[in-house]
Amino acid sequence: MYFRIIRRDISKSKWTTLMTMIFVAAAAMLVSLAAVLILNLSGAVHTLMTQAKTPHFMQMHSGDIDTERLAAFAEQHGNVEDFQVTEFLNMDGARIRLGEHSLAHSVQDNGFSIQSKKFDYLLDLDGNIIHADDGELYVPINYMRDNMARVGDVAVISGKAFTVAGFLRDSQMNSTLSASKRFLVSDKDYAEIKNSGNTEYLIEFRLRDLSELGAFEADYASAGLEANGPTVTYKLFQMMNALSDGIMIGVILLVSILVVAISLMCIRFTLLAKIEDDYREIGVMKAIGLRVSDMKKIYLAKYAAITAAGSILGFALSVPFKGMLLENIRLYMGESSHSSYALPFGLIGILLVFLTIIAYVSRVLNRFRTISAADAVRFGTSPEKNTGAGRFNLSGNRLFNTNVFLGIKDVLARKRLYATSLTVIVISAFIMIVPQNLHNTISSKSFIQYMGIGSYDMRVDIQQTGQISEKTADIVHTMNNDPAITKTAVLSTKTFKIKTGDGTEENIKIELGDHTVFPIAYAKGKAPAEDEIALSAINADELGKKVGDIITLVIEGKAKALTVSGIYSDITNGGKTAKAVFTDDTADTMWSIVCAELSDQTLVHEKVSAYAERFDYAKISDIDDFVSQTFGSTISSVKTASNAAVTVALIIAVLVTLLFMKMLVAKDRHAIAVMKAFGFTNSDMKVQYVSRSVFVLIVGIMVGTLLANTVGEMLAGAAISSFGASTFHFAIDPLSAYLFSPMLMIGAVLIATVIGVSGAGRIKISEHMKE
Amino acid sequence: MKKLIICDDIVKSFGEGDDHRRVLDGVSAYIHEGEFVSVMGPSGSGKSTFMFALSGTDGVNGGTVFFDSKDLSAASENELSDIRRTHMGFVFQQPTMLKNLNILDNIILPSMRDQRKHVASLTKKARALMKRVGIEELEKRDITQVSGGQLQRAGICRALMNSPRIIFGDEPTGALNSKSAQEIMDIFSEINAEGTAVMLVTHDANVAARTERIMFMRDGNMVSELKLPKYDGTDMDRRVEHVRAKMLEIGI
Repeated sequence: MYFRIIRRDISKSKWTTLMTMIFVAAAAMLVSLAAVLILNLSGAVHTLMTQAKTPHFMQMHSGDIDTERLAAFAEQHGNVEDFQVTEFLNMDGARIRLGEHSLAHSVQDNGFSIQSKKFDYLLDLDGNIIHADDGELYVPINYMRDNMARVGDVAVISGKAFTVAGFLRDSQMNSTLSASKRFLVSDKDYAEIKNSGNTEYLIEFRLRDLSELGAFEADYASAGLEANGPTVTYKLFQMMNALSDGIMIGVILLVSILVVAISLMCIRFTLLAKIEDDYREIGVMKAIGLRVSDMKKIYLAKYAAITAAGSILGFALSVPFKGMLLENIRLYMGESSHSSYALPFGLIGILLVFLTIIAYVSRVLNRFRTISAADAVRFGTSPEKNTGAGRFNLSGNRLFNTNVFLGIKDVLARKRLYATSLTVIVISAFIMIVPQNLHNTISSKSFIQYMGIGSYDMRVDIQQTGQISEKTADIVHTMNNDPAITKTAVLSTKTFKIKTGDGTEENIKIELGDHTVFPIAYAKGKAPAEDEIALSAINADELGKKVGDIITLVIEGKAKALTVSGIYSDITNGGKTAKAVFTDDTADTMWSIVCAELSDQTLVHEKVSAYAERFDYAKISDIDDFVSQTFGSTISSVKTASNAAVTVALIIAVLVTLLFMKMLVAKDRHAIAVMKAFGFTNSDMKVQYVSRSVFVLIVGIMVGTLLANTVGEMLAGAAISSFGASTFHFAIDPLSAYLFSPMLMIGAVLIATVIGVSGAGRIKISEHMKE
Repeated sequence: MKKLIICDDIVKSFGEGDDHRRVLDGVSAYIHEGEFVSVMGPSGSGKSTFMFALSGTDGVNGGTVFFDSKDLSAASENELSDIRRTHMGFVFQQPTMLKNLNILDNIILPSMRDQRKHVASLTKKARALMKRVGIEELEKRDITQVSGGQLQRAGICRALMNSPRIIFGDEPTGALNSKSAQEIMDIFSEINAEGTAVMLVTHDANVAARTERIMFMRDGNMVSELKLPKYDGTDMDRRVEHVRAKMLEIGI
């Protein structure tokens, strides 16, 4: 019997059924994909890092190194299981050629290593430790993905020919987020090319107890050991390996939650419409003594059938997509140790979607319990509690057209009913506006000042080279004699020791120089003067300092107190920077930048080329290029996300409005028939429903925009703070945010309303007046 | 007397194939201006369908319906709406008030569509009508706060707002007790006495006996007719007896 009822029901509402099934299928597919990907990613990261024996603590260092002192520290430290120092030969991309491809324009820091002796192994694609023979070159996996190299290609490194023998997975630098990439060569070849680049040291430790990593970090810093470079820990390696695929999984999960929510809403509206249609029959069934559970079964059976069909379809669709999405994880990290659990895990995900939907349908159907058999048989429609709007009377209406008045009055009187629709519009407006504002903000010219970069035209970076101070002075001298350059500033970064609250010492990188020449925007306070220091937001947060607090530096054993003058946002150097103006001759300069302003902006490209040619040890960049290289990819992904968000928001708004209006017409059929009997036309009905939509739309868009500019700004601020920014205010494009987006939404929702209420025209007065 | 509505050989069917039912099977009838008529017949005889066909609220499958010389079967949906709104009033058995509006707003609603600017005079007229039917104190009440009889009076006020030429009542006293039913019939008589035609569909011989012409229907056909003198408040029992005798005679 159930089968017959389901078949008849489905054939009566083909489109709604199909739409519901597609959403269920999409939800099932996405949840299953997310489950499978999570399992594979965690397994693959674990396998890679176990096979490669990734270091638990690594200090990068350039400059002189005292290996014996380091070995002695490792020896006497109780938590060190293993210790090694490996070399990373950083080489200019122009000196590396893979087949026909030069790496001259590569944004990566490319370098060469030999295979580690104890841990931190470079692995082949089968997870084995590679032993490079003389003349063989193993290339980082990302160049294989980018089709830059093939096995057997001839590679030329600083004039020496190699054969590409294979590709390597590097548990440290595999990630696209890691700026450095390691090539592997034999010991002999390494010695031959060693003079063609700058050697950096990777001081690596494996610990007995990883949970004591924090204490080890502090011990290392207070021991005053080599620390001229960034520090990376196991957790960060783990995060970087998981991050890019992890973000993708996060997005899939978020979208799947959204799709499940839409599916539930579709089901809610179609189910409520169906209950309204069948109201009298339900009353009759109740009156003749059918149990609520028996009646629920009839409706549940239909949704169980739709959901089961959708789930099976979703699972089938997930198979080809799974392969595509797993490809990247497999390539970068190899096969997961948990891959055999993937299928049951995916099925569990689908089962969860199925059960959620059935539980939801069952909850909606609990409404049967509140239906009065007598009222249902007598009136044929559900009684409603109307609230408020008592003083908003037709007899007192001088302002609105009668149909418009009736539309607004209905929304005010049945607030609960319209709350769902309003919520959807608010959410849609929110997800439409926030990414747009975010994109507009981060692509605006003024934004870089919030990001720790002054407003200049050209930037010269001098790093990973010897005699930085002399080379910097040389460049500044040239610039001072260059009539095209109107203003310059030198900012040199050095590492200092800082005393923390508990008496231990930590390293801090401080950018020294005149910070008033090209000022940045300070979130709090101002640029540092003598005996003052400004901290990046992340540093201030980690050190627990605010403006006016004192920071004690330890320079050659002597304490130097500096007052925190300001806190600023920063995206450069991992967001952990500081700025001060004092002069110092004790510490080595880690890197310097020279900022310059040109008299004529059109000369920037010409000047960049000229300086690049003349000072080949420095990296010269146009500031626009610098900004676009630093977070250009973020801007373009936010733009893509923003376009996708607009589409998704419109689809949700249209779909929900369509179903909501269909439900409303089913619910109001009696009132529609009454009004038609008294001479209201189908166009009058349309105007009334469009007025309801417009009213809900206006309120929804206003609330959505307000939320976007408050909560949305906070959320976007939180996302931006991952780059090191602390203050954040949307730069809003009013045309797009306050005109085009709302118009687009209004247009789409109105079309959906008109289509959704077309059923009102088919309502026959005679059929409903006889009830 | 001028004929306000004339229908000729009207046919109305429902369903298809095995479910096909001919509810009106070639019915011809008329209603004069200012006439007070009723339609009687057993359940399923087609009386309500006949009323919907005459008022243009439901189309017919065959035959013609003329209202004041206008062919309703050829009129557009909007023209039919206009005719209903300006020339006809309806009173149904069940409450047909909008839940969102109070009693006063429900009464003025149909007239507000075209005469919004005259809301003050419409409200005045509605209050006068409410006073006339004895519900003047209910204007601010929600429709759930009044009795069935009061709601039906409000329904009559609404039907009268546009000063219609005819009022159609589909079992207007069907859901009321006998006292309320009497009072409602008194109101219909008054309205008719002022020149508005009234057509009532009913099962009740007491209701039909108040009218001056009774049309009897069976199985979709008009089977007989009974004419009575205009009701003057006397001889009610004899009028009812006449109606019952006729019903017996034709077997309904």
